[in-house]
Amino acid sequence: MTRTILNLGLRLLVVCLVAAVGLGLTYTLVKNRIEEQDRKRRAEAAEAVLSAIEARPQEDLELTASLQERFADLIGVFEGLDASGDVIGYAFVLKSKGYNFITMAVGVDAEGKVTGIDIVTNEETPGLGAVAAEKPEFLGQFKGKGPEKLTLKVDVDAVSSATYTSRGITNGVNMALEVWKHLSNKGD
Amino acid sequence: MEKERTLWGEFIKGFITTNPLLVLMVGLCSSLAISTRVESCIFMGMAVIFVLTCSNIIISLIRNLIPDQIRIPIFIVVIASFVTIVDLTLKTIPAVYERLGVWIPLIVVNCIILARAEGYASSAKVSHAMMDGLGIGLGYTCVLLIMSVVRELFGTGKIVMFEHTIISLGTNKMPAILILFPGAFITFALLSALLQWYQQRRKPEIEGG
Repeated sequence: MTRTILNLGLRLLVVCLVAAVGLGLTYTLVKNRIEEQDRKRRAEAAEAVLSAIEARPQEDLELTASLQERFADLIGVFEGLDASGDVIGYAFVLKSKGYNFITMAVGVDAEGKVTGIDIVTNEETPGLGAVAAEKPEFLGQFKGKGPEKLTLKVDVDAVSSATYTSRGITNGVNMALEVWKHLSNKGD
Repeated sequence: MEKERTLWGEFIKGFITTNPLLVLMVGLCSSLAISTRVESCIFMGMAVIFVLTCSNIIISLIRNLIPDQIRIPIFIVVIASFVTIVDLTLKTIPAVYERLGVWIPLIVVNCIILARAEGYASSAKVSHAMMDGLGIGLGYTCVLLIMSVVRELFGTGKIVMFEHTIISLGTNKMPAILILFPGAFITFALLSALLQWYQQRRKPEIEGG
């Protein structure tokens, strides 16, 4: 009896070991590429949302880490630097909940006005919610608004048949504005 | 099965006689969920073909070393390993990964793959198991492609692949229901009925009333 159990366990162990080694190898092969892709996507989004104020985005990992304690959905913070290296705005990469998760970048200038929105990834229903996330007319509405909290259907028009997504994106922008307020209050 | 098993026969049966989706009706959830876009279906199909073929081969190779009591855990380890490989590889193509998202890891529990491992590969020759994997995998992919073409074209009015519009009906006033879940069921039911009709017409003597 003990011998059978030992026998079975050993065979299972061997299979698992082989699988683990194989997976470990695959992971080392692709790890850097995955991280690089994620970083690239975030940096591109930050660049896009800060382009209106011609700021150069610089990822600030320390700032991200300290803010993440307060804002759990914050993924990354980029400081928008002007030619002389002063911070003239921020790009916040964060995730918000529409019908599913939406990862987006929101640019905020020194006055707390939104400079642009870029949707990094969205898992919204294709043909319905995703329409809002891909619609420049909808995303453009946020430009220049803030720093006060925005209300959907008052400050910005929702996209019909994509209400959840419209709400999710609005909430994301509001969160970015909140992070901005937190940051600028601390500076005072 | 009385007839001699030929490699080609093993391959072709996955397409028609035991098509995993339309005849066996297994692995439906992922197919209903992702058949909203042709592009996603191509990648999902490739992922399933890869996992199914590789796990069939491995399981057939080690079939004599696996004790009966622990065969299911071993199948799952083998399948999960291949799925993780696909998952990691696809993560390097973010545009695709964000669409397929959760459905790739869920291939582990896709009934098609476990059913083929348990019901076929664990008692078949390696070459047969490989052809079975390819056939069933391609059968799955074909149905997925047909469904997604119907749903994307008539649900959104156009087919977009790799950010290029391939076909456009020139209007976006289309029945959105096709993109939603009811549309998946309707398309699937029609396809399944079509295959049944075709098979009954081919072999009227088997029908038997």
